[in-house]
Amino acid sequence: MPNNSESQCYFVQLQIDSFLDGELSEVQRDDFTSHVKQCDGCAREFHYAQMVQDAVLDLPQMDCDELVLEPVYRLASGGHSTSEGDRKFSWSQIAGLFNAAPVFLRYGFPVVLLVVLAVSIGAPVFSPEQNAALMTEQAAIEQGEQYSPAELYQALQDLNLAIEYLNKVGQRTEVLIGDRFLVTPLQDALNASFERAGNRRSRSLQDDPLQNDPI
Amino acid sequence: MLDQYRQAIGQHRARIYSFAHYSLRAKEDAEDVTQEVFIKLWQHWQKIDHSKLGGWLMRVTHNAVIDHVRKQKPSQIHLDRYADVDQQSATDDQAKQLDQRAFKDQLQVAIKALADPFRSIMIMRDVQGLSYADIQISLGMSESQVKVYLHRGRRKLRDNPNLRRLFDSYVKDETQSNKVVATGARQAANDKGKTHAK
Repeated sequence: MPNNSESQCYFVQLQIDSFLDGELSEVQRDDFTSHVKQCDGCAREFHYAQMVQDAVLDLPQMDCDELVLEPVYRLASGGHSTSEGDRKFSWSQIAGLFNAAPVFLRYGFPVVLLVVLAVSIGAPVFSPEQNAALMTEQAAIEQGEQYSPAELYQALQDLNLAIEYLNKVGQRTEVLIGDRFLVTPLQDALNASFERAGNRRSRSLQDDPLQNDPI
Repeated sequence: MLDQYRQAIGQHRARIYSFAHYSLRAKEDAEDVTQEVFIKLWQHWQKIDHSKLGGWLMRVTHNAVIDHVRKQKPSQIHLDRYADVDQQSATDDQAKQLDQRAFKDQLQVAIKALADPFRSIMIMRDVQGLSYADIQISLGMSESQVKVYLHRGRRKLRDNPNLRRLFDSYVKDETQSNKVVATGARQAANDKGKTHAK
């Protein structure tokens, strides 16, 4: 079988990557190199593979711009300024401005702040619901003042009639309930109970020897 | 915790960005992926096994890249049209000598055109120099699978017609220049012989 047979070329070309990675044994490496030296096609293929491999290995490791990571840092630090230096600078700047201000402004500022706070806390004392209730009450009072004495008298009479009617209804209901559920059964039960008690008493008097004692 | 997080970013940012850069066509996409990965790192910071942080990051990056590639699918036709133009221009420029820069540019295009996991494994192994163990963790494959995919990926890369054409033109030019050199040398030798004879 000739050295440069198609099948041998096929297997040698399959081994190119392993050769480049140094994964072939010594014997395999010798076979590979001896074939590549003799075969132009495989030499060309090997040259191409080597060139591609070298170019791939030469591709540089890239790095992104710092600006790309700026939102990431901002998120991690809770949406505040990203760098510690900036934060220090801003605080020191505020402190410097405060100290540089005139005395009346320096002490007046907290007073104004307190007043603003007091106003903002005091405002919700009269909540909208309370305000509405007060307004309704006021309106009712105003409306009450508008009734005439004759109208008020008529209203009282209507009210008395209504109370009288309700009393009658109540009495009738009480009688009905008493008849059906309360009075009659209760009376019967009481009568029966008294009767039983009377019988017991008479029986006990008959049985008691002391009661029958002639002395 | 924030300091440790920043330290982790500093340690892994180049690897993450490189992987995204060589996997995706647009620089902006690679930047988006990098941001996405580090935001996920912050969100999962407490749950991650920090001894395997590199592998975790590469896995998240790989998934993010796949998601981006899927999103890009509709514009694939447009990009392929450009690839055809590139191919045509490469054919026209066959006479030109191989330019290393052009070859590397074409190589990057060819890598990006590879399907996954060939592309990811090639970038991780050949560009970033990760060990087989790291790739195994990142992609959840066995070592033998990784090796098989790597070899197939390299072969697929070499089968890229534009790359091969660039190489062929280079070899042809080299042969021609060698012939010219050889002819020149022969001519010079002849001239030398003639002068000696004289």
